[in-house]
Amino acid sequence: MQLRLTCKPADALAASLLAIAAITLVAFAQDSPPPAPTDVLIKNAAIMTATHGNIPNGRIYIKDGKIAGVGPKVSAPSGVTVIDAGGKYLTPGIIDSHSHIALDGDVNEATSPITPQMMMIDAFDYHDKSIYHGLAGGVTTSLLLHGSANMIGGQAIVIKHKYGLNRDAMLFPGAPRSIKFASGENPKRVYGSRNQLPSTRMGNFAVQREALVQAQDYMREWDAYNAKVKNGDKDASSPKHDLKLEALADVLRGNLLVQIHCYRSDELLTEIAMAKEFGYKLRAFHHALEAYKVADQLAAANIGIATFADWWGYKEEAWDAIPWNAVLCMRKGVRVAIKSDSEDFARRLNQEAAKTMRYGGATEQEALQMITLNAAWIIGVDDKVGSIDVGKDADLVIWDGYPLSSSAVPSKVFIDGTVYFDRSLPGFGMPYYKEGM
Amino acid sequence: MRPFDPLCPAGAQDPCASCPHLCTSFQGIGFRLFSFIAALFFVGSLASAQQKPVALGGGKVLTVSHGSIENGVVLFENGKIAAVGAAGSVQIPKDARVIDVAGMTVYPGLIDSETALGLTEISAVDMTNDLVEPSDEIMPHMHVYDAFHAESELITVTRLNGITNAIVAPASRDTLPGQDSFIQLAGKSQDEFLLVRDIAMPLNFTGEQRRNERGEGRKFPSTRMGLAAQMRQAFLDAQDYAQKWSEYEKKKADYDKPKTDSASDSSAKPADKDKDKKQPPNPPKRDLRLEALLPYLQGKKPVVLAAEESSDLQAAVNLAREFNLKFVLNHISHSQSILDYVAGLKVPVIVGPIYEQPKSEERFDAVYSLPAQLYKRGVKIVIASYDSHNARNLPYAAGFATGFGLPYDEALKAITLNPAEIWDLADKLGSLDPGKTANVVVSNGDPLDVKTDVKMVFINGNEVPMTSRQTRLRDEYSAK
Repeated sequence: MQLRLTCKPADALAASLLAIAAITLVAFAQDSPPPAPTDVLIKNAAIMTATHGNIPNGRIYIKDGKIAGVGPKVSAPSGVTVIDAGGKYLTPGIIDSHSHIALDGDVNEATSPITPQMMMIDAFDYHDKSIYHGLAGGVTTSLLLHGSANMIGGQAIVIKHKYGLNRDAMLFPGAPRSIKFASGENPKRVYGSRNQLPSTRMGNFAVQREALVQAQDYMREWDAYNAKVKNGDKDASSPKHDLKLEALADVLRGNLLVQIHCYRSDELLTEIAMAKEFGYKLRAFHHALEAYKVADQLAAANIGIATFADWWGYKEEAWDAIPWNAVLCMRKGVRVAIKSDSEDFARRLNQEAAKTMRYGGATEQEALQMITLNAAWIIGVDDKVGSIDVGKDADLVIWDGYPLSSSAVPSKVFIDGTVYFDRSLPGFGMPYYKEGM
Repeated sequence: MRPFDPLCPAGAQDPCASCPHLCTSFQGIGFRLFSFIAALFFVGSLASAQQKPVALGGGKVLTVSHGSIENGVVLFENGKIAAVGAAGSVQIPKDARVIDVAGMTVYPGLIDSETALGLTEISAVDMTNDLVEPSDEIMPHMHVYDAFHAESELITVTRLNGITNAIVAPASRDTLPGQDSFIQLAGKSQDEFLLVRDIAMPLNFTGEQRRNERGEGRKFPSTRMGLAAQMRQAFLDAQDYAQKWSEYEKKKADYDKPKTDSASDSSAKPADKDKDKKQPPNPPKRDLRLEALLPYLQGKKPVVLAAEESSDLQAAVNLAREFNLKFVLNHISHSQSILDYVAGLKVPVIVGPIYEQPKSEERFDAVYSLPAQLYKRGVKIVIASYDSHNARNLPYAAGFATGFGLPYDEALKAITLNPAEIWDLADKLGSLDPGKTANVVVSNGDPLDVKTDVKMVFINGNEVPMTSRQTRLRDEYSAK
C-alpha cells in the first residue's frame, strides 16, 4: 500500500500493465479441471488383460471411466468415441508400488527414527514433471512413500498420473492408507552418523519395539477412557491426543497397510516376528533383495514383495541380490511386484518386468502382473485397477511395439477412460497440460 | 626412462626393444620421454591360448560388418576368428569342437564405452571405491589401471550378458580426472584384462566439476570460467614443458655430437669449448601431470570430451580446438538445439545415458531420441552404459534407442563395431570377421532385448564359465 502512495503516474501505469500481465500468466497457468469422462470404444487392439490371457483383435468399451466390456466382440452404443488401436498391444496401466517422485525432496523427516505422523500428502508437489515422465512410460498409478531414513517413516499417498490437473484430482479415490517402515543400513547410518540411537540393527529394532509398546499403552489409556465414558462416567478425563501414537495405534488396529523397506533375510524374519508379537499385519517388503532365501515364510504370512528386477551391489545389504529373486519368490507363492524407487526407472517398468521372463522364466502374464495386478494388491487397490476386467477403472496403455521388450514405447495412456498422454501430439504430448503450469 | 611405463607387463626397461609381448609402439616426438606406447597386447599372444578350434554351427550369425547369415558357421582358433559363412561354406578342422547352436543367435562381443568396472565393488562401501581422485580438478596422471581390480565380481556378472570389452573411466568429478583403460572381461591375470592401459583421456565440462559454488573455502575454481581457465593453463604448461624438453634434447644432441674443426669458431677461446664439453645440459625436472597431457596435445590419443548442455559443449569444443586436441564427444544429453553443429564437427559421439532425465522444459523423449537424431545427421554414434553394477544392461539401452527411431543395425553397431572404431581397435574387435579376436556371444534371441538369455560367451576363443556369485546363490537357494 505504501508503494502505491509513492507511485508516480508512469510507475502506476507500469504497475498496472504488470498486473495485467500477471493475471494473463495466471490464467494461462491454471490447472485443468477434471475432464468429464467420455464413453469410448477401443477396437482392433491386442489386449493383454493381466488376468485372463490375451485377446488378439479385442475391444474395450469404456463407460463413465470404467471398463464396461472387454472381449473379441464387444458392442457399444452408437455415438461413443471410437479409437482404432491399429492392432497395437494394449495393457493395463502400469502401477508403481514404490516411488518417491513429486515430493520436492521432502522424502525423509530424518530428525527422529519414529515419525509415523508424517503425511506425504503435505509434501505432494503435483506439478513435478516426474509424474509426466512416468505417465509417458505408461505409469497410471503410483504409491508415493516416505523414505527409509526412519524405522517408521510416514503415511503414503496413492496418485493417478493425471498430469495437468489440480492436486486433489490426482489422488486415487478410496485408496487405503499405507505406512512406510524401514530397517537395516539406512536408519542405522542416518542416526549412527550423528551418534544417536539407532546405530546398529539391535538399535533399529529396539527403537521400533519401544514405539510399538508406547502405542499399546496409548491404546489402553484410550480404551479405558472410552469404556468409562460408555459407562456414563462424566468425570473421566481424556488422555492426551498424540498424533504419533495415534498413527501407530492405527498400525496395531490394522488400519494401515504396512510397507517395509528391508533387504536382508534375517531382518525379513525379524520384521515378521515383530508383527506377530504386536499383532499387526505386513502388506509387503520393499526391495526385499534376499527374499528368495526365505520365500516360504513370506508366502506363509501372505506378505508381498516390491522388488527390483536386477539392481544389486549398491550397498552391503544389496550384495546378495540376484536377478532371479522375483521369480524364485513367485514360484514359492509370494506376490511379487517390480517397482521403480526411481524417477528414472519409473519410465520403463515394462522393461524391468520383462527381465523376469529372462531371469527365471516368468510367463508373459506373470511378468505383466508384476507391474500391474500384484503392484495394485500391494497398494490395496487391486479391486479397482491392475487388470483389464469389467468394472475396473479404464487405466490403459496402447503401445508402439511389444510391451515386454527393450524397445516398446507407450503410444496412448488412458486414466479413468481419458487420454492423458498421446505420443503423437506435439509439445509434451499431453492434452490436459499447458506449459507454464 | 620409463619408470611410469604401464605398458610392459614384464616390467622390461626398454619394452620397445625387448618386450616379448605384442606391444604396438607409437614413437614420441623424438626423445625417449615422449615415446608413448599403447599396450595393444592381446591375451592370445600371452597365456590362456585357445586349446582347440571351435565351430559354432546352425545359428543366425549377426556379423555386424556384412549383414546376417541364417544357418551360419563361425569358426575360431588360436583366439582368432578363422572363418564366418553359410553352413557348408566353411571348412571345419577335424579336431574342432563343433557346437550346434541351431535356433540361437551368434554375434560379436559387446563393447561398453564407459564403465567403472574394476573400480568399485559395493557402491556405498567407500573402501571398495577407487572411482576418482577429487583433491584437484586437473589429475591427468591418474591411471585407472593402477586401481583396476580384475577379480571384481562385477566383471563376472557383466560378461554373462555378452559384454566382452569395456572402457574403464574415472568418475567425472574432475575436469581432467585421469586416463581410461580398455579392458576385456576375462583373463588369467590383471595384465590380460588390460588390453590398452591408457587409451583416452576424459575432459569433463558439465558444470558438475565445480566446487565451492557457494563460496565454501573460497578456493579457485568455483565457476565454469575458473575450470576452463585452469584447464587452459594446464595445457599451456604442458606445451611449455614439452618445449623445455625439446630444447634440452636439442642441446643434448649438440653436446653428444662429435666436434669437427670446421664447426669451431676461430674467435672462441679453446678453454670455452672445453668448458662446454665438460658440462652436459641438465634435463628439466619431470612432471608427471604435464607428461600425461602430452600424447593428447600431440593428437596421438583421443580426448573424451564430455558436456551435456549446448553452451558447455561449445565452450569445451572451443577449448579442445585451441589446443588441437583430437576428440570424441560424450553425453551431449541436452544439446538438442545444436545437433547440426555437432554433426558438422565430424567426430563420433558417445551419446547418453539414454536414460538421462529430460530437463523440465524438454519433451519426455528429448534424450531417448538423441541417438536417432544424431544418426540421421550422419554422426557415428556409440552407446554406453555409464555404469558398473548395471553395465550388464548395455544392450537394452541400444534396444531402447530403436524405439525412438534408431535403425536396429545401427543400434547393434553402437555397442560393437562403432566403439571398436572410435577406440582404434576395429582390426581386432567389433564384428565377426576373419582375423579378429574371437569374442563371440551365443544367445537365444535378439541381442538387444531384455528377454534374451545369453547362453555362451567366448573371449579370445575361450569359453567363459556361465557362472557368477549370483548364479551360485541362485542355485544354492533353488535346491530342493
